Order: sequence, then structure tokens, then C-alpha cells
Amino acid sequence: MRPLFALIKREFTAYFLSPVAYVTLAVFLLVTGHLFYLVLTGLTKPGSSGIEYPMQALLGDEKFWLVFLFIPPLLTMRLLAEERGTGTLESLLTSPIRDWQVVAGKFIGAGLFYVVLWLPTLAYLPILTDMRTPEWNPQTWTFGIDPSPVLTSYLGVLLAGGMFLGIGLFVSSLVKSQLVAAMISMVVSLVFVLAAFWRPDLDTGSLTYRLVYFISVPEHFRRDFSRGIVDTRHLILYASITLFTLFLTVRSLESRRLRA
Amino acid sequence: MIVVENLVKYYGEYQAVRGVSFEVPKGRVVGFLGPNGAGKSTTMRCLAGFLTASSGKASIAGFDVFSDPIRARRQIGYMPESCPLYPEMRVTEYLKFRGGLKGLGGSECRRRMDYVLEKCWLKDVKRQLVGTLSKGYRQRVGLADALLADPPVLILDEPTAGLDPTQIRETRKLIRELGQEHTMLLSTHILSEVEMAADTVIIIYQGQVVEHGSLDDVRKKHKNQNLEDIFVRLTGQEGI
Repeated sequence: MRPLFALIKREFTAYFLSPVAYVTLAVFLLVTGHLFYLVLTGLTKPGSSGIEYPMQALLGDEKFWLVFLFIPPLLTMRLLAEERGTGTLESLLTSPIRDWQVVAGKFIGAGLFYVVLWLPTLAYLPILTDMRTPEWNPQTWTFGIDPSPVLTSYLGVLLAGGMFLGIGLFVSSLVKSQLVAAMISMVVSLVFVLAAFWRPDLDTGSLTYRLVYFISVPEHFRRDFSRGIVDTRHLILYASITLFTLFLTVRSLESRRLRA
Repeated sequence: MIVVENLVKYYGEYQAVRGVSFEVPKGRVVGFLGPNGAGKSTTMRCLAGFLTASSGKASIAGFDVFSDPIRARRQIGYMPESCPLYPEMRVTEYLKFRGGLKGLGGSECRRRMDYVLEKCWLKDVKRQLVGTLSKGYRQRVGLADALLADPPVLILDEPTAGLDPTQIRETRKLIRELGQEHTMLLSTHILSEVEMAADTVIIIYQGQVVEHGSLDDVRKKHKNQNLEDIFVRLTGQEGI
């Protein structure tokens, strides 16, 4: 297990040794901060107009997902493509570590950074829970908003993120250039986001909508996660694609040894 | 210590290694010679576990490199050609990471790191970023990495390529010292290097072993010619 931990540590800290991490963090905070501002404006608007589900306004918007689309590929593009490009893959694969440990180490390292990316958004929650209690009192522990949509939203964010990171890692194992890796994984990830943009044109009862709904991540968040619903179909989709892409990445590393 | 039997490696249609067999007993320093493209690096990569051979067998200290790769790789300190490193890490950070990958624990890793930093003359640059080091220092970092887990077998792919004469001399001295304790497979095309550091030579040409034996035996067999003449004759470029 020690090689695995060494690799996770190196992959995680490597993010902070390059500007990519800081740029991603800044852009991500800017976007979620702006969405949070919109939610707050909606919640504090006088009169009967308001927001029914605050988390839906944060994560159910497909425009958020269009921005989000860029983030996992930026995190995964260097993982294997850089090592192949510079040749360091040779020293990594000749050290006593199994191929699945290499893949797991890189995936977990990227996953940890992804969690770090979301951590600052936790700061929004105390403000939201404080909304309807003018003097916040920790003893009474009253929530201004329903806590379960918050929990399900973070669950969804974690698992959907895993899926996008898995796709990015697999693509990164196929190419030598980081830029190409990022572009291809964005295009592949687009499949899971783009479908949401057809939604307004589709009859929600039609077969097409039901098929699109299966793979459309923004729709999962708009209809289920952000409203406190855990639909196992989405969880199974995310988990199976994550595992499948990780499996493919291990195979892709193995095939490297057979070819050249 | 190193046993290779009928190793064959195809790159697509092209057969880079064509049935290479040799054996290196414990404690020998073997110079692995051959012109560019002869299959030296490919053979070494198969031994180190970076490539899987198309057919044939290879084992390090009794562990098969294909069926028992992890234990075989624990026996090897491998330094790849051109010595790729992570430029954004400091020398100590890099060695600590490599130590972890090789399964060294905290205190043992620190002890070995001190030893290799001393041995490879890296003490002065240990806080420096690898990316800012000169070629010679990078090569030493690669060598330090190969030595880190104190493996019985060292496989070094062109350890002196691209170094200046002083550095070459230093590296050679180090290799001679290491040869006392480690079994070593050393690829190069600087023939004088083999004569100075190695006791055995393997000459490989077009993916096949054309000469294998102790330095003296090989010289005797070829009527006491110098190694350069033997090399040129065996690799079929006599007219040049």
C-alpha cells in the first residue's frame, strides 16, 4: 500500500506546484460565488416571488454545467499524458507498483483536489441556514433551509465528478499532449451535459426525453439531487462509468507495455 | 542473477530483438554494447518491466519479470535512457517520492536518501528544483534514484550520455565503486568506458547477441585486437 500512498500524495501536491490549480480554483469560486449571489438575491426578494429550491438554483442550471465541463479535464489532462510526453512514465512503470495502483493513485489524487475545489462552497451553507433566523443561535440549531437537498446535492457532485475525472484520466492515458487530452475529454464529457440543452424543446413524456434524461447530468441535478431526491439510476450511471473508465485506463497502460 | 532466454520483441511488424539469450552471474559488471538501434534499450526495458516481450523469458534473481513483475522490479534499480524526471519537484522531494514508490518507510527512506545524496554528490543541490539542474546533475539524480532501495541489480541505460569529460570521469568512478556491491548491466557505446568499468561484455547487433564473454576472453578470441576493432568487425561496418 505504501507505493499507492506515495503516488496519491505526489499527484495531489503536484496540483499546487503548477498554476493550473490556482486558476481552476479562482474561476470555480467566481462562478459558484456568482450563482450564490443570485440565490441570495432570489431568497431575499420581497414579495411572493422567490426560490423554491435554493440548491436547484445553484446546481440545476445547465449554464453552470457548461462552465463545470472545463474543470475535470483541466485536472486530469496532465495525469498520464504529461508522463508519457516527458518519458517519466518509464520510471513510474518500472518501479514496484501495480498498474491498477498507478491508476488508482492518480484518480484519488485528482479526486482529492476536486474535493478541495468544492470545500469553499461549504462556507455558503451557514449563511443559507441563517436566512430565516435573524439572530443565529447554535443552541436551537434551526435550519433556514432544508438540509437534505444540500446533502444529496453534495453526494451527486462527488459522484458525478468522479465520472468526469474517470473519463479525463482514460483520455489522458491515450495521448501524449495535455492539450489534446483536455480537448477530447471535454468533448466526451459534453455528451453528459449537452443533452440538458434540448430539454425545453422536448415533451417530458416522450421516449427521447426519457433516454436523454438517463445521461443528462444537469437534469439529474435539476430534478433530483437539488430537491433532496436520490435516484439510484443516476448513482449507478456515475459509479459504473467511473469504474469502467478506470478499468479501461488500466488496460490502456498494460497495452503500452505490449506495443512500445 | 540476470537470466534472459530467447527474448523476442516486435514493434508492430518490426522485430527489434530477435532471440537474445544471456546470463549474468552475481557480482559481474556487464557492458552491453551495440550500435544505435541494435535493441539494447528494448532489451533493458523488457528486463526492467517497462515493455512486455513478445516471447521468451527473463528473470532477475530468480523472479520472472513477466509472471512476478513486482518482486522482480524490487531487485532492480533502473535508470532509463535520457533519465526523465519531474522538473517541478525538489531533489529531496523527488527521492522521497521514489522511496515511497519503492516501499521504503520513513526512517529507512531518510537513511537511504542521506546515503545516495552523499554517494552521488548531490548534497549541494538537494533543495534545488530538478528542472533547474544541469544535465550532469539530473543524471546523478537518476542514478541516486536507481540506488535508493539498495537493489542487488542495477540496469543503467547510457548513464554517461551527454555528460562533459569531468562528469563522465566522475560517473565512471562511481560505477566502478558500485560494481563492487551490485550486479550491473550497463549499456553504452563508449567503448573505453566498458574497458574501464566492466569485466564482461555482451555485443548485440540487429537484435541478436554476436559476442558474449569476459573482456579478456573476447580479446583473446579476436587475436588481441582492441575492443573498438572487435566491435566494428562484429557489427559489420569494417570498410568504414
